Amino acid sequence: MQFSKAWLQEFFDKSIDDVNLEEVLTMSGLEVDDVQDLSKISKLVVVGEIVSIEKHPDADRLNVCQVNTGLEKPIQIVCGAPNARVGIKVPCALVGAKLPGFEIKKAKLRGVESNGMLCSANEIGISQDSKGLYEIGLDKKVGELIIDALELNDVVYTLSLTPNRADCLSILGIAREVSALLGLPLKDINHQLAKESFTLDQKVKIYEEDDCPKYCGIQIKNINNKITLPVWIEQKLERSGIGSINAVVDIANFVLIETGQPLHTFDQAKISGEISVRKANKNESLHLLNDQKIKLEGSELIIADEQKALALAGIMGGEFSSTNTETTEIFIESAYFDPTKIAGRARSFGLNTDSSHRFERGVDFRSTSSALQRAAVLIVEFCGGECSNILDIESNLPKREPIKLRTKKVSDIMGLALKDNDIKSVLDKLNLIYSQNKDHFLITPPSFRFDLSIEEDLVEEIIRIYGYNNIPALTPTSQDRMIGSPNNKKSIYSVKSSLVNLGYNEVVSYSFIDKDIEEKLHSNLNIIQLQNPIASQMNVMRSKLWGSHIDTLSYNLNRGQSNIRIFEIAPVYQKIKSGFKETLMLSGLVYGDSIPEQWNNNRREVNFYDIKGDIEIISSNTLSIEVPKNIVPEIFHPGQAAELIMNQASVGWLGQLHPEWQQKYELIGKTYLFELSMESLINIKDLKITLPSKFPPLRRDISVLVDKDIRVGDIVNEVNAQVIDGLIDFYPFDLYEGKGIEESKKSIAFLILMQDTYKTLEDENISNIVNQVIKILKNKFNASLR
Amino acid sequence: MDQLKKLIELAKIDFEKCETQTELDNAKSKYIGKTGPLTEAMRGLSKLSNEEKPKAGAFINEVKSSIEVLLSNRKNDIQKAAMLSQLEDEYIDVTLPGLKQSEGSLHPISLTMHRIENIFHSIGFDLATGPEIEDDYHNFTALNIPEAHPARAMHDTFYIDKNHVLRTHTSPVQVRYMQNNQPPLKVISPGRVYRVDSDATHSPMFHQVEGLWVDKNVNFANLKGVVQDFLQKFFEDKNLIIRFRPSFFPFTEPSAEIDMSWNGGWLEIGGCGMVHPEVLKQVNINTEEFQGFAFGLGVERLTMLKYHIDDLRPFFTNDLRFLKQFGGR
Repeated sequence: MQFSKAWLQEFFDKSIDDVNLEEVLTMSGLEVDDVQDLSKISKLVVVGEIVSIEKHPDADRLNVCQVNTGLEKPIQIVCGAPNARVGIKVPCALVGAKLPGFEIKKAKLRGVESNGMLCSANEIGISQDSKGLYEIGLDKKVGELIIDALELNDVVYTLSLTPNRADCLSILGIAREVSALLGLPLKDINHQLAKESFTLDQKVKIYEEDDCPKYCGIQIKNINNKITLPVWIEQKLERSGIGSINAVVDIANFVLIETGQPLHTFDQAKISGEISVRKANKNESLHLLNDQKIKLEGSELIIADEQKALALAGIMGGEFSSTNTETTEIFIESAYFDPTKIAGRARSFGLNTDSSHRFERGVDFRSTSSALQRAAVLIVEFCGGECSNILDIESNLPKREPIKLRTKKVSDIMGLALKDNDIKSVLDKLNLIYSQNKDHFLITPPSFRFDLSIEEDLVEEIIRIYGYNNIPALTPTSQDRMIGSPNNKKSIYSVKSSLVNLGYNEVVSYSFIDKDIEEKLHSNLNIIQLQNPIASQMNVMRSKLWGSHIDTLSYNLNRGQSNIRIFEIAPVYQKIKSGFKETLMLSGLVYGDSIPEQWNNNRREVNFYDIKGDIEIISSNTLSIEVPKNIVPEIFHPGQAAELIMNQASVGWLGQLHPEWQQKYELIGKTYLFELSMESLINIKDLKITLPSKFPPLRRDISVLVDKDIRVGDIVNEVNAQVIDGLIDFYPFDLYEGKGIEESKKSIAFLILMQDTYKTLEDENISNIVNQVIKILKNKFNASLR
Repeated sequence: MDQLKKLIELAKIDFEKCETQTELDNAKSKYIGKTGPLTEAMRGLSKLSNEEKPKAGAFINEVKSSIEVLLSNRKNDIQKAAMLSQLEDEYIDVTLPGLKQSEGSLHPISLTMHRIENIFHSIGFDLATGPEIEDDYHNFTALNIPEAHPARAMHDTFYIDKNHVLRTHTSPVQVRYMQNNQPPLKVISPGRVYRVDSDATHSPMFHQVEGLWVDKNVNFANLKGVVQDFLQKFFEDKNLIIRFRPSFFPFTEPSAEIDMSWNGGWLEIGGCGMVHPEVLKQVNINTEEFQGFAFGLGVERLTMLKYHIDDLRPFFTNDLRFLKQFGGR
């Protein structure tokens, strides 16, 4: 909503010049988005008249104009505007004038002296129009300041209104609000009534009374729609951001902005027979005013004549029945459409018109007829013609039941004890109709307010006018209970900290990804597609975070980074039978050196075991990293992937990016990826603590030869599975294959750690334990001691 | 006797010459070893008269202990010198960089979320999360936003299907929380939210934290108190104040925009209001007994202000040169 302060002033007797409207409106909930002070135009811009014009000798497009600015002699200005011609009056910026963005200086254009500039409306900052010179009325006095000549002592405000305040979508509405906020009485304005010259012969039938509880219309004959409207009307429209179309449409728009009541003017000559307000027929079509051709479904409310659809009710008129400058006979419609019936309709056609915007939010159903009167009077005044009587069809208008407002309720919600009189004074300021009872008021909301239906709505009104600023910031008093903290749950934050300590950088990436990546890289066939993605490479919800991670990898490699260790904790999305499933996942990517290059170490490319170690640390060994039982995801190298298992269930994956993908992404080094569900990480087992033995542990090392294809993990698991008294740890500390041993074999050195709780182990016990281990290795894995 | 006395002088000279423990051990045997002159002198005592014996014996012992003192002193000197030389050899360049894995970092959004959670936790706010693919009911209807209401247009919603959207705010989590918990209740719900919007100041995905407090007597003034207290603690500025501006959200009544004092002016930082009775009724909370307030704050906005970042986009491009600056926090 855009409006001019000068127009608003017309609703008050007292001057509002000194009122800081921006502050007052914003603090009352009508947020001011933009303020444009038109009077800021330089005093060196005056009315100039072009008295003679010559072609520039050296430039085809330029003219050399002599301009009368009220001085003895005309001044010479070089001008390139296409509409420059003798006789017109335009804004003329003299040397020294400061215009938005530049200052006028004496100049030579292609060798010809120029002592100023002739301006477009845009150049002096009063509108966006930059088509050509701004031609102002020939009645303006040459040399007069442009501010005075165009009555630019005005400020244009742009409001960003919330959907509940439809009542402020008009100058009248804003005036009512300002009146309540400042306690300024509104001026009594009594517009004259249209003079009835003939009996209306346009028949109208309402088939949908629920959708259209009120419909008014008037016919006007013998108008001249070729006239130019007075400047004061055009100026007001311009300052409200409304373009000029033709005289009757401009007047209808003027009344719309003034009263908030949308009107529609039909060319009477193009209406065949009775007008009906009805639901569209399926496949009926309509060519709209904005040249859009729509196909109707059947649920839309339309205005139609006996032959076809004429207009989309409350949204936009049709091209066929619209008025133009040749129009001599019109039918004006002023209706009330039910907001709930019209809501969303315009949007479904991609439209948002001045009319639909208001009807969806609620239009004053008591101004239907008076707004029509106002338009008819103005049309007859400027375009001539005669009016019919007013057609007025009314069924069930919205009820305005009185709402109970308890003083105590206001105080309870506000947190500040108010008295009956405080409330009364606000109700009076708002000019609301009410009655006062013992502990409450009964308030009847006005027909222009659609946001007052329950007690809380009125509480807000009271606080709003009382002033949100007058509410103190108070600490609540409450009876607090402590919040528990489960000991077998890790916080997500502690998981993040562990990863940070392992050198990982946390990233945050979009939850949507390219469908192609989802299908191919994530091997997901059951895709969750967005109906209205913001970009084609973000059109589906991701089932893995890996695609995003590889994007992050490429982005950073392209910016000179060489070692990447990143992780993200975010949900992934799956389509399941009963709907959608979201699982919070930890996912990561590692690329580059195992440790960054530094002064003492030999560089080594990161490998599978580096990442496996990281996962073992963050999971505190509560899950096992196993040879895959399920099908290895296609993203991984089939020989370098492991499945993460917890309680026999698969909770994640770890592996090297498949060399084919590595080539596709043009990655020089190997990339490792992992993912595991946060659920498996944050739920930790209860602790059973054992006290350390008083006796020192003893270590023996053994080295064995086994077939190459035997897995070390299997050996360790097998030894651990057999309960051997006194054995407390068994793990490999060296692995060798190659020179010196059989080609089909590998050598593994194991560490055997032993301890007894009650005594120092004797040699006999030690060799007994070691022998048991060796026996297992021999029997189960055909191992031979080296 | 004089000869013995001279031994002290000789030993002193000999010991001084020794630079290592081995040399000293060899030198020692020249004087107090089993074949040394003192042992011999002791043996010679038997030739002396009974009168002379004690005197001579005492003298020999005196010489012996003098030599032993010299020996021990020299031993100490040698050990000290050896330690000094070892230390000297072991000097390192402490200015060489430490050996380490690269420094990790938390994402600034995480830092802010954690900070927010801690501050609210300190006065007993519980933490709740909920689905991001949300049904129409929880994202809109339960929050008093009926179908085709103009307020839906304020939301620029991503649609999955007819009945599912990407949640446009974290308010549906509150609805779910109220469905499963009885008042009084205090909860914050941080998380990802989505709007169809993308430019320098809007991201199609961003983070919000919403707070809800339902009790018998929490009011609008308390809402102002809690939000102001939070912002003061978050920005560590005791003088920070907030102002409320009337606004409209379908799920609160009265509703307010929150402006915060910043660099001498006001800055919009979030929205809030008293929970709309319709929302409480949806979850069967008696509105004559309980009332409550709710507020929503943008996590990116708070982060940008906290770390003086004037662009939203770096939060999602994940440039490591940006992220690594948050290391150690």
